[in-house]
Amino acid sequence: MEKKTKEEFDVVIVGSGIAGSVLAKTLTNAGKNVLLLEAGLQAGMAFDPEAAYKNYQYYIDTFYKASAKVPNSPYPNIKDAQSIDVLDIEPITQTNSPSTKGYLVQAGPLPFGSDCLRGPGGTTLHWLGSTPRMLPNDFQMQTLYGQGVDWPITYDELMPYYEMAENEIGVSGNVEDQVGPDMSIENYGEGYVFPMKEIPQSYLDQVCIEKTQNLKVKLYGKEYTITCISTPQGRNSIPNPAYKFAGTYWNKKAQKLELAKNNEEYEPVGAIWDQNTGHRCEGNASCVPICPVQAKYNALKTLRKSDPKRLKIITQAVASKIYTDEITNAITGIEYKKYKYENSTVYDTAIARGKIYVLAASAIENAKILLTSGIANSSDQVGRNLMDHLVMLTWGLLPEKAYPYRGPGSTTNIPTFRDGEFRKEHAAWISPIDNWGWSWPVFSPGSDVSSAVSSGMFGKKLRSHLNDVLPRQLLLHFECEQTPDPNNRVTIDPQYKDQLDNYRPVIHYNASEYMKKSFEAAKKVSDQIFAANGVEDYTAYSVANDPDYVTYKGQGYNFWGAGHIVGTHRMGSSKEDSVVDKNQRTWDHENLYLVGCGNMPTLGTSNPTLTMTALSFKAAEAILKQLEN
Amino acid sequence: MNNHVVSSNTFLTISTYLTGYSEVELLGTGMLETYFNVFLEKFSPETLHYFFAEVDEILLESAGDEDQINAAIAARLIPDSAYDGIAKNIILVWYTGNWGSDVISTQSYQQGLMWDTAEAHPPGAKQPGYGSWANLPIRIPTK
Ligand SMILES: Cc1cc2nc3c(=O)[nH]c(=O)nc-3n(C[C@H](O)[C@H](O)[C@H](O)COP(=O)(O)OP(=O)(O)OC[C@H]3O[C@@H](n4cnc5c(N)ncnc54)[C@H](O)[C@@H]3O)c2cc1C
Ligand code: SF4
Repeated sequence: MEKKTKEEFDVVIVGSGIAGSVLAKTLTNAGKNVLLLEAGLQAGMAFDPEAAYKNYQYYIDTFYKASAKVPNSPYPNIKDAQSIDVLDIEPITQTNSPSTKGYLVQAGPLPFGSDCLRGPGGTTLHWLGSTPRMLPNDFQMQTLYGQGVDWPITYDELMPYYEMAENEIGVSGNVEDQVGPDMSIENYGEGYVFPMKEIPQSYLDQVCIEKTQNLKVKLYGKEYTITCISTPQGRNSIPNPAYKFAGTYWNKKAQKLELAKNNEEYEPVGAIWDQNTGHRCEGNASCVPICPVQAKYNALKTLRKSDPKRLKIITQAVASKIYTDEITNAITGIEYKKYKYENSTVYDTAIARGKIYVLAASAIENAKILLTSGIANSSDQVGRNLMDHLVMLTWGLLPEKAYPYRGPGSTTNIPTFRDGEFRKEHAAWISPIDNWGWSWPVFSPGSDVSSAVSSGMFGKKLRSHLNDVLPRQLLLHFECEQTPDPNNRVTIDPQYKDQLDNYRPVIHYNASEYMKKSFEAAKKVSDQIFAANGVEDYTAYSVANDPDYVTYKGQGYNFWGAGHIVGTHRMGSSKEDSVVDKNQRTWDHENLYLVGCGNMPTLGTSNPTLTMTALSFKAAEAILKQLEN
Repeated sequence: MNNHVVSSNTFLTISTYLTGYSEVELLGTGMLETYFNVFLEKFSPETLHYFFAEVDEILLESAGDEDQINAAIAARLIPDSAYDGIAKNIILVWYTGNWGSDVISTQSYQQGLMWDTAEAHPPGAKQPGYGSWANLPIRIPTK
């Protein structure tokens, strides 16, 4: 039975992740009435301190008890709105094609390696929180390197929105450190500082930096100088007294968003249950999947700052289809299914109505909803160009103890291969130095314990063996920039639906030669860094270790997903080859905006959320202008 | 069959030899009773009885000589064929807080000795404070 919601809102938003929350907050604070539809459970949307605390403690307990502490492990995975989960990834073989184990239907040839979270607050609940900006050259990949496409906007145009995003997330970092290829303090405005000072670089970073800073490495006949810099990140640190901005507001007169000046010291944003908790990162070392004190940014912090009088939130509401007017092509409503309780097969269908509609359900889900509705796709680009950072990992033992498993996941990165002429030949990458030992590739330290014990070790010998090995573990990431490929895509198929009769996304995915060559290149660089540091290499790639296994020139490599799900509804400068314009509005429907990483035409080497948040502010500004004119 | 040999005291003593951690350190986790009960639940009374009787014998005949105890443990408790693998499981439970891949409790996760051995702390618990990771781990001298 279909119910029509009587109320009509200025804006209807689907999804309460960072993209949807930035919109909800900015629009309600500018006086607009907003309806937010969220697929996840009501319990996760609690803002009353006691209920919020109780729900979050439940997440933490679930995390403690989870046998595989993967990104989604603390959070409910409900059948009515399943999350993409890394535990469901399996090799796609002749007898297992497509793989249908989880929410995604993985048609391959390689499985897509990343997950995201469907629930209030979305994926920022378990993101790591690294927030480097993109490089100016990243916006011109086609012009400069003949790869992918150019963006319809430049770095300079995005600058003011980057500042809004850094304010919203609460970035800790040191602008002066941000030096590398195509990267200097000039990428930031004159005198610009981040809201908080840099998160201290780990002891492990310092050990690595000693022999890696200014190291000369050779790659395909060229010499490069490696540098190590502190990583800007969305977790609380010491406020920078030179930072002078409060929050982003709508300047009605000027018809634009602006950062308000602030004469007082920046105040870190605390936990949703208590503003005074989490003012500093306390070194829990569990940022992925959950920060116990909420020193790390999550989208609920933004959503909480919305004007409650102008925001209506409906949870357990799964957006399923979008309706359009046949003549004007305008969106007339979003159908959603409201399920009664966790895993219930009983639901009501209703239609949400507003003047403007915004999809913020993350890249894969946004594309799926558009495909289901058969809209916004005159360019045939919806669902295409799915991208991620393909993370090649290398691991080994340092000659001395550097004490990993402490502090935020990563506090230092190597920017050396983020940009250069080599991008014509192979992907660029950023290299975070990891603070959490070999936990990602081989499930240390548990696996080290079990292999030592099964070899017969016990007692003091076991203890001293583990105490010798674990503190010497080193892990490097090479987050390689996947380029857009129209065949890496999301589709739908009536054979594959979930229990609310909504489509499950079908994923077609592969790694190109351009990507594989970057694995070869990254491994050559890793070898030289390991050699300079006297690191004994334990890296071993196999399909048994990780189903994303490829070979290049006879050598096998594994890559892992970075959680950076990008590109499924690209932004561009023409209706013919893109889904949204530079304001994130669909070319085909004047009252439909898409927000999230799906808009990014190319990925760059930076973690995408900061850039996506900047674009979400840009979308909010365009929506406000549209509503007021 | 004489069941009194199956005691949490003996469990603690043999745990010190199996894990390399002292009684004080093991008791400091607060997990002794929980883990002892796990073994009572997971193994048959017969196997437990034989295991504990063997432990008593090893402790008695070695009269506190550590090398001798270790040699006896290696030969008589560690092989997979010995007592359904109780000894190895004792080590794994103390180090990881898990029974197989199941986490025994929220406490056992936080008390896993492997985090201490790594000179770290369990992720998401016992956080050492702002900036601590930029320095050497704080070590409390044990002697
Ligand atoms: C392990 C991991 C680590 C990461 N680390 C970083 C990092 O360090 N730096 C970085 O920049 N990025 C990182 N990312 C990526 C980052 O988390 C995402 O880019 C970001 O959170 C996406 O935000 P979003 O609002 O677009 O989508 P999401 O946060 O995924 O939110 C989507 C929202 O829509 C809701 N929704 C979905 N479907 C429906 C529906 N049909 N109807 C109604 N509601 C719906 C969901 O419940 C959710 O609330 C990481 C990701 C992962 C997985
Ligand atoms: S290190 Fe700990 S306190 Fe800091 S952000 Fe990560 S989980 Fe939170």
